Amino acid sequence: MLIVLPLIGTLLCFLLPRQVKALGLMTALAIAASAVALLWQLLQQGAMRYSVGGWGAPLGIDLYADGLSLLMLLITATVGLAISIYANAAFKLDKLVHFWPLWLLLWTALNALFLSADLFNLYVSLELLGLSAVALVALAGGSAALGAAMRYLLVSLLGSMLYLLGLALLYHSFASVDIAILAQRMESTPAVWAAMALMTVGLLLKTALFPLHFWLPPAHANAPAAVSALLSALVVKGSFYILLRLWLEVFPLSHAAPGQLLGLLGAAAILWGGVQALRQTRLKMLIAYSTVSQLGYLFIAFPLATTMAWKGAMYLLLSHALAKSAMFLAAGNLLLFGGHDRITQLDRVAQRLPLTLAAFALAGVSIIGLPISGGFIGKWLLLTAAMQSGEWGWAVVMILGSLLAAAYIFKVIGYAFTQAEVTHEACEVSKTMGATAFVLALAAIVLGLIAPWLLALMDIAEPFAMSSAALNAGAAA
Amino acid sequence: MTLLQWAFDGLLGITLIWLAWRTLASADLFKAIVLFIAFGLLMSLAWVRLNAPDIALAEAAIGAGLTGALLLVALARLNVVAAQTGDIESNTKQISAPEDSARTTAVVGQGVSNKHNLFQYFLVLMLSAVAAGLAYAVLSLPSEAPGLSRDVAENLNVSGVSNPVTAVLLNFRGYDTLLEMAVLLLALLGVWSLNRLPEQYESSPGLVLDMLSRLLVPLLLLVAGYLLWVGSRAPGGAFQAGSVLAAAGVLLLLAGWRPAARFLGWPLRFALIIGLAVFVSVALLMMLPGGQLLQLPPAFAGALILLIETAATLSIGVTLAALFYGSRPRSEQIPPHHTGSGGENE
Repeated sequence: MLIVLPLIGTLLCFLLPRQVKALGLMTALAIAASAVALLWQLLQQGAMRYSVGGWGAPLGIDLYADGLSLLMLLITATVGLAISIYANAAFKLDKLVHFWPLWLLLWTALNALFLSADLFNLYVSLELLGLSAVALVALAGGSAALGAAMRYLLVSLLGSMLYLLGLALLYHSFASVDIAILAQRMESTPAVWAAMALMTVGLLLKTALFPLHFWLPPAHANAPAAVSALLSALVVKGSFYILLRLWLEVFPLSHAAPGQLLGLLGAAAILWGGVQALRQTRLKMLIAYSTVSQLGYLFIAFPLATTMAWKGAMYLLLSHALAKSAMFLAAGNLLLFGGHDRITQLDRVAQRLPLTLAAFALAGVSIIGLPISGGFIGKWLLLTAAMQSGEWGWAVVMILGSLLAAAYIFKVIGYAFTQAEVTHEACEVSKTMGATAFVLALAAIVLGLIAPWLLALMDIAEPFAMSSAALNAGAAA
Repeated sequence: MTLLQWAFDGLLGITLIWLAWRTLASADLFKAIVLFIAFGLLMSLAWVRLNAPDIALAEAAIGAGLTGALLLVALARLNVVAAQTGDIESNTKQISAPEDSARTTAVVGQGVSNKHNLFQYFLVLMLSAVAAGLAYAVLSLPSEAPGLSRDVAENLNVSGVSNPVTAVLLNFRGYDTLLEMAVLLLALLGVWSLNRLPEQYESSPGLVLDMLSRLLVPLLLLVAGYLLWVGSRAPGGAFQAGSVLAAAGVLLLLAGWRPAARFLGWPLRFALIIGLAVFVSVALLMMLPGGQLLQLPPAFAGALILLIETAATLSIGVTLAALFYGSRPRSEQIPPHHTGSGGENE
């Protein structure tokens, strides 16, 4: 079971702090293996429903796996495994004894979240996710990281409270917290609208959509590199996943106005994040603002709401997870190597850390959305969806966002090739750390090559079919 | 409902809101914490009035008692740290409410304060609008909602316990509780991963504290045991019992007692995780005879729930007491040749 495994790993790592390296890595491998096993099962028999405790909804809690949750689990396993290997090389043992239990709990939370079909259970896993993320940010130590962690904690708690309040309204109205049952009983009442607003705002706060992104750059930039990668690649996607489930299945989508609003915020995020990224002088801050910008793309799918748009957003989400984790790991290497991450003083790293820089450049290709990368497929699907609906505005914003991304990526790569005047003492960066970043970046590119296969996976149980059928039947080709 | 009950409820509600306001507006942190504890106690009264004695117990023990103790000890530590850096006043005593800071700004510059005030009015306006919308939504709800209580009542006889709250927490939705236990462990892990505070050594308490702790600790242990046992039939259970257990631990820590170093290594860690470990093992064992995860067979459900709850009580108690103690104990030291700066340095 995907949820129990990391939990057992946590307990073992906590009990035997001296063996964390081996124990943690074994757990990570086991989780990845069981994610693949789930892929096999789903391919054989389609979507699965599992009743914990044998009670079944509405009394008990159901787990549910379809194409959407499967892909999220697989990407978590891929990125998770790579970061596990990276962390073992990057951290010293005194940090690792804390990192492993916290990280495995975070993994538990992510897996639980992607498998849950129960809104209250989602709340619990959201809490687990938020708290472990905060603890991991604080792991860096120092006042900047602690301040960022504290702010992240407050934001995260506020988001959870809003979600819980909305949930209480739903439970009172429909006497269930199971997603499928709620979807059947749903009707348009003031309480439902209030619940929808509360839960959406709470989740947006956690997903850091503009203008609720203010907490993200300091938290993601001040954490240790492995943690930054986890946060940007996976944690913000957790709350986005819940939001997607809510919008696709629970709330009636007969009104398009809220979707338009989310799309507008997404567009603002793309541009604002891009411009801010361009203005940063620190590499990690640049990457963090790039996350703000890339998250904006995911919300462009909400006003379009066609199957193709959802798939495009999903594709972008996956490739962003791979590319952004690769980028943060590469930035971590550069930081360790030079002792700083000032972009203008990158000091010929092209020759001295070729693997790391290659990882950064490849990840950049996917972030910009150049052809054959995963990012390209996602943006292509979104663009096509926008043009098919005749909504050119979204397409223009997306292209502008890509230009901005190209500008800030090339700015970094440009400085990496120039020769700085002061050459300083460089620290050794282990081969493993460069290699893991490179493999992740390569995976982001490969994602573009296996597109037909992945898109077929998304169709398991057709998680995107419902809303598009309800909203504009026939608009999707 | 009689007039007396109306009057009582009204008074309770108004007092709660007033206390909450005073807590937020208080410039003195110590006073704010005391007000917060009072708020928690009254809140548990409100739960009693709402016929939710389980929540009332939890609110009194955890919301008012332990959270209050945690806040007070955090304030005390803050004072120590601030005294070392030499500015107690600015750090702890004078944390001012937003109104105060607005007033301070007014002294500095009229233009700035105008902007600030405008923003505040805007904020108040927005929040009022949100509150009004929420109130409308809540008022539009049907006043009677059955929820799932009928389903729970129907399945109570196969759950192994007769207290519906325990049945929901440990059987019907045991998976949620499993994850909640993980959250509690996570809180401690988070605190332990931070830098260590200056060590506190065993100290001798005053006569009163010494006598009191000798009398109270056995009593608290007894109460914890009772709450745990009675949880299957009446309000009570692992969380309440665990927090009472933690109160005993806090009292001992306050009285200056420190556990011997040989208990601080893996015995402590074992006690911290046994609740979660037993829960996970039971959950997995239930799959062996072909059941689902966490599917408790009705014949053994009562015994299994008691087993899980006993382990959970121990873990909850130790975890909360450890949270009160703060940083991880000294014997947790990794061998010296491994310690050093972290993996990254900015």
